[in-house]
Amino acid sequence: MPRISQAIVDEMVAHAREDLPDEACGMLHARGGEVTAAHRIRNVAASPYRYEMDPLQMLKLERGREESGETLFAIYHSHVASKAYPSPTDVRMAFFPPGELDQEPMFPGTYYILVSLEHEEADVRAYLITRGGEITEEPIEVV
Amino acid sequence: MAVTVHVTSVIQQVVNGQREFSADGETVGELIANVEDSYPGFASRVMDEDGEIRRFVNVYLNDEDVRYLGGKDTALKDGDTVSFLPALAGGAA
Repeated sequence: MPRISQAIVDEMVAHAREDLPDEACGMLHARGGEVTAAHRIRNVAASPYRYEMDPLQMLKLERGREESGETLFAIYHSHVASKAYPSPTDVRMAFFPPGELDQEPMFPGTYYILVSLEHEEADVRAYLITRGGEITEEPIEVV
Repeated sequence: MAVTVHVTSVIQQVVNGQREFSADGETVGELIANVEDSYPGFASRVMDEDGEIRRFVNVYLNDEDVRYLGGKDTALKDGDTVSFLPALAGGAA
């Protein structure tokens, strides 16, 4: 079960609202299972329906993790007008090359967090996407 | 030219799980061919059937996207770092 502080949840929601009308995306880092930070990443697709993380920012964050010993805890993005559930595109893109569902996903064990702004109150949910494209919700414990 | 190759995520699987190793090449394309010689399967991970860098693979020379340099023909020099990372994308549509 992913344990995430209220402050980190609020930060992801604030980011999602600030990037309207486009989708927002980012990463949560952790150390020993404790989330250390939310990192906003530029959505180079700049679209209400798509996100693509800025690769250079991803590269720099990865270097940061290698130096600090942190791990990639979660990948988050917003759905501006649909529910907090991975779309078929989200599932396809969790694999490499995209859509190769019979492989291990790109980031095994990393949560996919969806921030839905469909309703006035944001809905934030976490999932694991596993081989075969299976989606399992992992209820967030807000700590 | 001796460069450092940095690979992330699923591309590590085809290079025995390494994150970083040294390889040679005058250009990005030659580097990919040389890495393929040592680690068969590498080229097909990063290039498509037409021999172009895959749409969903980003190749960076130091901190620059090679798509905006010379693509596969981008020249390398000693001490460069070439990074290969799959795109991270998705969305509601």
